[in-house]
Amino acid sequence: MDVLDLARLQFAVTGSLHFLFVALTLGLAPLVAIMNTRYVRKGDPELERMTRFWGQIYVTNYALGIVTGLVMEFQFGLSWSGLTHYAGDVFGAPLAVETLVAFFLESTFLGLWIFGWHKLPKRLHLACIWLVTLTAYASAFWIMVGNSFLQNPAGAVVRGDHLELVDFGALLGNPTLVMALPHVLAAGLLTAGCVVMGASAYQLFRRTAEQAFFTRSLRIGVVTAFAGAFLTSGFGYAQFGFVDSVQPDKWSATPLAGTGLGSMQMIGETMVLLTMLALICVKWLPRWRWAHPVLMLITPLPFIALILGWIAREVGRQPWLIYNKLTVADALTPGLTQGRIMLSFVAFAGVLGLLAVVDYLLIARLVRRGPAVIALGEQPAPQPVLTF
Amino acid sequence: MEILWFGILAVLLAGYFALEGFDIGVGLLLPFTAERDRAVGAIAPFVLANEVWLVAVVGVLFGAFPSLEGEVLSGLYPVVVGLLVSWILRDAGLWFRRRLDGARWRSFWTAAVALGSLGLALSWGGVIAGITGAPALLGVVYGVVVAVLFAFHGWTFLAWRLPEEAAAQGASRTGRALAGSAAVACLPIVVPLAALAPEVVGRAAPSATLTVLSLIVLPVVPLLAGAQIWVWRAFRRGAVPTFF
Repeated sequence: MDVLDLARLQFAVTGSLHFLFVALTLGLAPLVAIMNTRYVRKGDPELERMTRFWGQIYVTNYALGIVTGLVMEFQFGLSWSGLTHYAGDVFGAPLAVETLVAFFLESTFLGLWIFGWHKLPKRLHLACIWLVTLTAYASAFWIMVGNSFLQNPAGAVVRGDHLELVDFGALLGNPTLVMALPHVLAAGLLTAGCVVMGASAYQLFRRTAEQAFFTRSLRIGVVTAFAGAFLTSGFGYAQFGFVDSVQPDKWSATPLAGTGLGSMQMIGETMVLLTMLALICVKWLPRWRWAHPVLMLITPLPFIALILGWIAREVGRQPWLIYNKLTVADALTPGLTQGRIMLSFVAFAGVLGLLAVVDYLLIARLVRRGPAVIALGEQPAPQPVLTF
Repeated sequence: MEILWFGILAVLLAGYFALEGFDIGVGLLLPFTAERDRAVGAIAPFVLANEVWLVAVVGVLFGAFPSLEGEVLSGLYPVVVGLLVSWILRDAGLWFRRRLDGARWRSFWTAAVALGSLGLALSWGGVIAGITGAPALLGVVYGVVVAVLFAFHGWTFLAWRLPEEAAAQGASRTGRALAGSAAVACLPIVVPLAALAPEVVGRAAPSATLTVLSLIVLPVVPLLAGAQIWVWRAFRRGAVPTFF
């Protein structure tokens, strides 16, 4: 593989990893926030346990979202300085706003929520998880503004050897953004719904002692998964007209983009159907032990669909990085050597890949152990006796 | 407008050194700390609010100084890769070290925190050498200086947060002393940044871009500052959390 292939593969691997974790984060955040709200309103200790149990799965997943995201942000400057040179005046703006206005607040409020249990007043603590959710969605918005600009460089004109911003409104009203954003957010809900549903089904299948806890959780998962599947599919189909208007040969230009699209649609339709059946039977589902393995088996499907959708969207604009303006090859950092890109590829893909495996094993263990012991929001131990 | 955005960049970088400096410093001191869990617990509620300053630095570089962003990051390629891998290791160590019981699991990830912190300090030496055009060997010297200053800042933080405890070797420091060590910790970046100011200002994005950025970002600044202040008010004293 040459330098360009390696740089692309590095971006694809780190980007896909990031997407897997971030999509689940986006979907779980509102669920945890709703559980937390109900706990604060009703004071029911069972709701506190639910918030902490699913909250711990949420933050364990979040850790990998952060570290993969760091690599994403720096990678533009490392491997794709041709992009920052050519389009940084336009493309940089949404990314800068995302870091300052969205992620900066998200990270700060997440710290307050994780460590503020039993420390902050309950209502302020609750406000933190809602602010985390809100800023996470704002993050998704600004990242999708940036991504949509690559699909369809609206709001910019070529001046000399680079693009300049002329109409910020056009950046925000990009036809490749309007339906894609709700599509991605709904896919996050579908993913989170399936994780909650699959994990609860696993516990119920094992005849858990926590019947009430996981019966309730299973129902939340089913409702969320169906709403997510339905909206993802709807906003997915709604995109076609917009995409065809600016990228007419997107799905036919390369077989990979078309295959990605087709397979994603197949999974999407399967999920709509299965989650609809689950919703119809939601009253009895917790007691139908035979159905639980099915619910467990479909849990990975949204993750696969996420990657397929990402492939369809990004491979479909090849060979362009910015559609009809800048090719991927021209965006590569000039003079990037094989040695350097190999070094960073092995470092990032290797380290992040291993950490992702560890993180998923930890999440699986949290699910298996159930809510008997939850580290998140534990009452802190009393101060040790001073030795001096 | 260019000067305003240079100011924002400078404040964020200095803030990163002043705040994340003590997290990295405590990480560096972990192998020599008696009460490691207490030390990690002391920085834990601050880390997420501190490390994000560097994410914002790169965001501002990308948005307001895009041509510089590509040039600096790709120009310092191996150093930036080292910085990122160290950062990832440090963060993974913090998030994972208490997720399983068992002494070996915890000491493995504690080592990751310490090594990652060392890598971060040394990488910053390389970055400072790179942006000032100093030879690579001098970068190692800068790295050691950064590590020593961060360790001092981290020690001061522990003595302020856990006064008279074993984690701070029984020492006790005031908030004023902590502000002093923060000022010292941000010197290694403030000095070269001041020298490079004219060059950086000249590389700013066109005013159309900066205007849009200002309109969106400036109204939110009180919220950003308020959230940071809240973290300090909430976690400066009281029980040490046990999640990290």
